[in-house]
Amino acid sequence: MEKKYIHSVVRITNNQLMHNGELLLTRSAEDSSWPVEMYRGLHLQYPKFFKMDNLCKVGFLAAELAMKDVGVSPETEKPDFSVLLLNSTSSLDNDISYQQTIADETNYFPSPAVFVYTLANIVTGEIAIRHKIKGETSFYIQEKFSPATLSDVAELGFMPHKGIREMLIGWVDFLEDKCDVLLFRISVNPENSISEWTDEEVSRWYEAGVQKK
Amino acid sequence: MDSLILELKEEIIKSLNLEEMTPEDIDSDAPLFGEGLGLDSIDALELIVLMERNYGIKLANASEGKSIFQSVRVMAEYISKNRTK
Amino acid sequence: MIYKISDNIISSLGFSSEEVYQKVKSGISLGKLHAGVFPGVEPFYSSLLNWEAVNQETVKLFSDGMKYTPFEKIAILSASKAIESAKIDPSSSSVLFVLSTTKGNIGLLEENGGYEEERIHLWRSAQLIGRFFKNPNEVLVVSNACISGVSAQLLAIESMQLKGYDYAVVVGADVLSKFVISGFQSFKALSNERCKPFDAERRGLNLGEAAATIVFHRGEPSQGDVVFRGGGNRNDANHISGPSRTGEGLYNAIQNAVKEVDLSKLAFINAHGTATPYNDDMESWAIERSGLSNVPVNSLKGYFGHTLGAAGILECIISAHALADNTLLGTMGHDTFGVAKNITINKETKTCCNLMFLKIISGFGGSNAAICFEKLG
Repeated sequence: MEKKYIHSVVRITNNQLMHNGELLLTRSAEDSSWPVEMYRGLHLQYPKFFKMDNLCKVGFLAAELAMKDVGVSPETEKPDFSVLLLNSTSSLDNDISYQQTIADETNYFPSPAVFVYTLANIVTGEIAIRHKIKGETSFYIQEKFSPATLSDVAELGFMPHKGIREMLIGWVDFLEDKCDVLLFRISVNPENSISEWTDEEVSRWYEAGVQKK
Repeated sequence: MDSLILELKEEIIKSLNLEEMTPEDIDSDAPLFGEGLGLDSIDALELIVLMERNYGIKLANASEGKSIFQSVRVMAEYISKNRTK
Repeated sequence: MIYKISDNIISSLGFSSEEVYQKVKSGISLGKLHAGVFPGVEPFYSSLLNWEAVNQETVKLFSDGMKYTPFEKIAILSASKAIESAKIDPSSSSVLFVLSTTKGNIGLLEENGGYEEERIHLWRSAQLIGRFFKNPNEVLVVSNACISGVSAQLLAIESMQLKGYDYAVVVGADVLSKFVISGFQSFKALSNERCKPFDAERRGLNLGEAAATIVFHRGEPSQGDVVFRGGGNRNDANHISGPSRTGEGLYNAIQNAVKEVDLSKLAFINAHGTATPYNDDMESWAIERSGLSNVPVNSLKGYFGHTLGAAGILECIISAHALADNTLLGTMGHDTFGVAKNITINKETKTCCNLMFLKIISGFGGSNAAICFEKLG
C-alpha cells in the first residue's frame, strides 16, 4: 500500500470556512447566501459560479482553496489528477429546486439550467473544468461521513494501473442551507505536505469544523 | 421596441444568472453566443424556456433558436411579431 | 482473476438475461410513444417496465412486511435472481454490494406515497437492499450520471482486488418519472420515435427503465467464462452537459482500459450510442483516435432506450451473452451512416467469432468510462 500525503485541506461548515486549519471566513448573517458570501469574501472572478447549484458552489469554492498552492495554473492540463467525492444527500438540494419548476401544471416550465445540476457528479465536472483535471472523476453516496470509506476511495484512486499522482478527495454535502464540506488535496509525494494521510488525520480535520457546544 | 429590449435584457440576466451584469453591459446588437456574454448550450435551452414562459412562443429545438438568439434586438423583433402573451 | 458468474436483467423485454438476450437477438423492442403516463408531461417514446408483472414477481419475495418503492423492487428482484443463479450466500461479509443509480426514488418528491422522509435518499435505498440480503457491508451508491453502471463495476472490481472480497453484486436500476422525463425534454434531447444511433437522421435519445445485476467472483475461471481485462474512467474537463467534440476523455478512458489488452482479440465495441447528435459524433472520434475504426461497433439503445443507472450494467450483460453466443448484435434504429469519423457500425445481427468486447460510455459532468471483458477460449 503506497503512502499518501495531505497537501491541503479545506473545511466548510454552516458558518465557517477554514483552509489548512486557518479560519478564513465566518458567515455574517443567517439569512445570507453562504456560498455567495464566501465567493465574494475570497475575491474570486469566475462568472460561471452564479450558474451553479449550491452543491457545485461549495465544492468549487473548496477546490479553489485546495488548489491554491498546487504550483501550476488552473489552465495547465492535469492528466494524472483525479476528483473523487462523496456525500449523503446527493443533489437533493437542487432536485427540490427543479421539482418546483414542474410541480404546478399551470406554471409548468421545466428548467434545463436547473435540471443539469440534478446529478451529484456535476460538481466533479465543474471542478475538473475549472482546473483542467483529466483523470478519474467519481461521486459516491453513503449515509454518513466515514474516514474509513474515504481512505478506501483514496486507495482505489491511486491503484497503479490508473497512473494517478494527485487528487482532490473529500466530502461535499449541501442540503437546505446545511453545508458540510471537507476537501483534501493529496498526493503520493511527501514533499511540502502537511501530514501523512491516515484515518485519524481525516477524522481530526473533520472534527475541527464541528461546532463546540 | 426599446422597452421590450430593456425588459429582455433584465430577463436574460435573471434567467441565466448573469449575476454581475447590468442591462447596460449588454449591447443590443452584439451576438449573444460565442464571445461577449459567454453563453453556452444550456443558456440557449434556458432562453427557449424564457420565450415560452414570458411570451408564449414555442420553439421546437435549439437549432431553431440559433437565428433568433443572434442578438437581443433580433430576439425582441421576433418576440414582438410572434408573441401570444 | 475476476470474472462474471451470473447476471440478471429486469426490463421491458423480460425478467431474465437469457430471455432478454434472445429477444434482442431476434430484433424485438417494445418501445412506443407514451402519452398521459405522467400528468402534464408531453408524450415520450420509451420502453417502460410491465409493473403489473413486477408486482406479481416481487410479492413472493417480500415477506418481511417492509414496503418497497418501485425502484427498490426492481433492484432487489434483479439482484435476488442473479444471486440465486450464482449460488452464493449474500449474507457473507466476503460479498460486496454496489448500487448504481442516477435518481433512485426521486418520484417521491412528486408523490410521497406515505414513505418515511429519508426514503428520498439514495443511501437509504442502498441500505434497504443490503438489509434485504442480510449483507453486513455498507452498500455504496455510485452516482456518476450515465456512466454509473460501468463506474459501479469498476468500483466493485477494484474493491475486490484491493480489499479481498470474494464476490461482488453490482446492481443498477432507474425508473422513469415526471422529474426525469421533463428534464430530458427541457434539454430537447428526446426523440419522439425510435432512436437512430450513429445515423445521419438521428434526432435524440429514448429513455427506458430497467434493473440489471452482475455477480463477479475473484477466483479461477474456466473455459467460456467472461473475465474482466481492464477499465478506465477519465474526465473531459470541457463542459458539464456537452461532450468534448474530439472525444478526449473517452479516448483517455479507452487507453486506460486497454493498456494490458491484446486488441486483436476484440470482437466488437458496445458504444453508448444514445443517438444524440453530439454523443455519437464524439464516440466516433474516440474510436478512431484509438485506432479501432475497423472494429464493429453496436449500440443497444434501439432495443431498450437509455436505461440510465442500469445502462452500463445491462449493456455489458447483453454484450457478454452475445460474446458467449458467437454473435455480433445489430444496431436497431440505425439505417444510414452519419457520424463525424469513419467507424464501422454494425447494422444487422450476425455471427462472429472473436473473444473480447469493449464497452464505452459517457455522460453529464464530462465523465467517460470504458471496460473490457474477454471470453476464455
